[in-house]
Amino acid sequence: MTTARDVILTRLRQAAGPAVPLPELPRLNAPRSDLISLFIERATAAGTEIETSSVERLASTIIDELTRTRVNRVAMWEDRLLTQTRAALRATPLEVLDPWDHARESVAGADAGITIADFAIALTGTLVLDCSPAHPRSTSLLPPVHLAVIPAEHVVASLGDVLTRTGPLPSALTFITGPSRTADIELTPVLGVHGPTRVKVYLLT
Amino acid sequence: MVVTTTYDRRPTTVFPMTKRIDFEQNSEKALQNAPLQATLRTAMVRFRALRISAVEEIPDWQALRQHAHDTKAHALAHLDRYLEQLERQVTGAGGVVHWARDADEARNLITRLAGSSGRRVVKSKSMTTEEIELNDALEHAGCEVTETDLGEYLVQLAGERPAHIIAPVVHKSKEAIAALLSEKLGVPRYDDAQELTRVAREALRRKFLEADVGISGVNFAVAETGTIVVVENEGNARLATTLPRMHIAVMGIEKVIPRLADLDVFLTLLPRSATGQRMSSYVSFLTGPRRAGEADGPQELHLVLLDNGRTAIHADSSMRESLACIRCGACLNVCPVFERTAGHAYGSEYSGPIGAVLTPLFEGLDVAGDLPFASSLCGACGEVCPVKIELPRLLLELRSRVVRQRGAPVAERLFVWGWVNAMKSARRLAIAGKVARVVQRFMSAVHLPLPYPFSRWSASRELPTPPAKAFRERTL
Repeated sequence: MTTARDVILTRLRQAAGPAVPLPELPRLNAPRSDLISLFIERATAAGTEIETSSVERLASTIIDELTRTRVNRVAMWEDRLLTQTRAALRATPLEVLDPWDHARESVAGADAGITIADFAIALTGTLVLDCSPAHPRSTSLLPPVHLAVIPAEHVVASLGDVLTRTGPLPSALTFITGPSRTADIELTPVLGVHGPTRVKVYLLT
Repeated sequence: MVVTTTYDRRPTTVFPMTKRIDFEQNSEKALQNAPLQATLRTAMVRFRALRISAVEEIPDWQALRQHAHDTKAHALAHLDRYLEQLERQVTGAGGVVHWARDADEARNLITRLAGSSGRRVVKSKSMTTEEIELNDALEHAGCEVTETDLGEYLVQLAGERPAHIIAPVVHKSKEAIAALLSEKLGVPRYDDAQELTRVAREALRRKFLEADVGISGVNFAVAETGTIVVVENEGNARLATTLPRMHIAVMGIEKVIPRLADLDVFLTLLPRSATGQRMSSYVSFLTGPRRAGEADGPQELHLVLLDNGRTAIHADSSMRESLACIRCGACLNVCPVFERTAGHAYGSEYSGPIGAVLTPLFEGLDVAGDLPFASSLCGACGEVCPVKIELPRLLLELRSRVVRQRGAPVAERLFVWGWVNAMKSARRLAIAGKVARVVQRFMSAVHLPLPYPFSRWSASRELPTPPAKAFRERTL
């Protein structure tokens, strides 16, 4: 029996003309210096808040933020960078959702999600998040606030730099540039249409 | 105020009908609609300004366009090979690849996958599923289908079709949207966009949490890695591809690109051309379904590769490059015709200059032969296209095909015959010019309507009084 696949591929082969060369990858004219200030400028322009911190101060900085914004339940990734923060959070009345508690309803009920970012792209102010059993996708998606931690040395110039540095791809590699947004109603910008209304980055220097 | 217009749209049955798209009649309705004209103009001016500032920031822009053009030309020339590679890689990552020759086959396939009656389906924006009229088929099979892009959701609630690739609800005022949400969801008539968006968010969040199936489009599919790339601003595509247990991605076969690294170029071009953003809020690279131990993501990933006329365009060597389109909408935003008629006049989900090329190719010249004439051939579309599709050339080529098929109207042939004869010698031209000036002076003096076909020109214009002497008489 001829399948749709055979029919489509046969049609394409019959129509194939002369070979066309695949162009070399261009090197984008990306800046190589002062990536951190460029990232801060561009991420801020996209609506991301940025606070610089250090590994030592991270836990207290995050707890201050969560207390100030009256967060009750926080979903968070399991990660070496977040070990101290998690331990410190356990000592507070806050409810902490671990990756294995990420049922959709419970994450949807969280007030904030804490993740790390593998890379940050300076040219576009973008965060790059991977995905694994310890790094669920919904932590950065369902809660109205997304807090992301990234070491300053992981700021790269362009998307091309990320693509050449990424090993085997995870099931989802997510690029986040500012909060969820829409301008569908009379072109009026509105934040937080489906995803987080606030995105805040802790840049570890 | 509620903008109510009925547009020529294809019927909402699962059987597509071949009704001729009457661009002139459709656009007349848009032209009479003053609020629509004002909204459109503001939107187009805004989109153009945003695009320009985003493009000026990239010194290599022209080189990037050329690269994207060449990469697409290569991918299209070797499409069979890249589709097979894509299939291998997606399968290797745990996904399932399906092939569909036409809309009917795709609808049946997806309806079967989505499963039994009562299934709740959430959809993120996809032109391709509009093209195959998937929602009707799913609803016919008993599924509950919810469009989740805010604009698409509003269009669905209103029972209409999107008016613009990127801004589906650009034809509706805030007041019209407030009335719509109030009527359909039983909420108060809020008067600001923030509140209206919040209402929609809450309604849609519930749909997401209980959905069984998520359906998305595909912006790019990477043959090298089997990765599906989805670009968006709202987060609804992330939700649709993260929460339900099944994700069905639907793509035209032309969306495949060779290498992961090519995305550096395409993702620089697409957001800047579409919305003037440096990067869209969310770009998802999806490689296979959820893996062992992961807390979320779909357990099943299905990728539907749709032909539906694309292999025929692929075989048409002078039209093939139209398949390079990455659906950014930049050509719509610069088109003086689109700016006045909006998307519905084109009678298809693909509107503007690219729609005037694709719809005749998909539906046939007898159905959509008017569309290539819906252009002033000013060339702006070709200038902004991020993949350098020569839109004016394609429009002209289609026009000549239409004329060859339909034949030119008698009046046009008569005019050309007269023109050819008048231009054969200087003496004839001088005589013809004298006659024309006498007639023109008389007509402009008496203010009579001109005879057909000139009446169409003079319907909205004054006939100018000709000078006493022709230009050549004055200079000789």
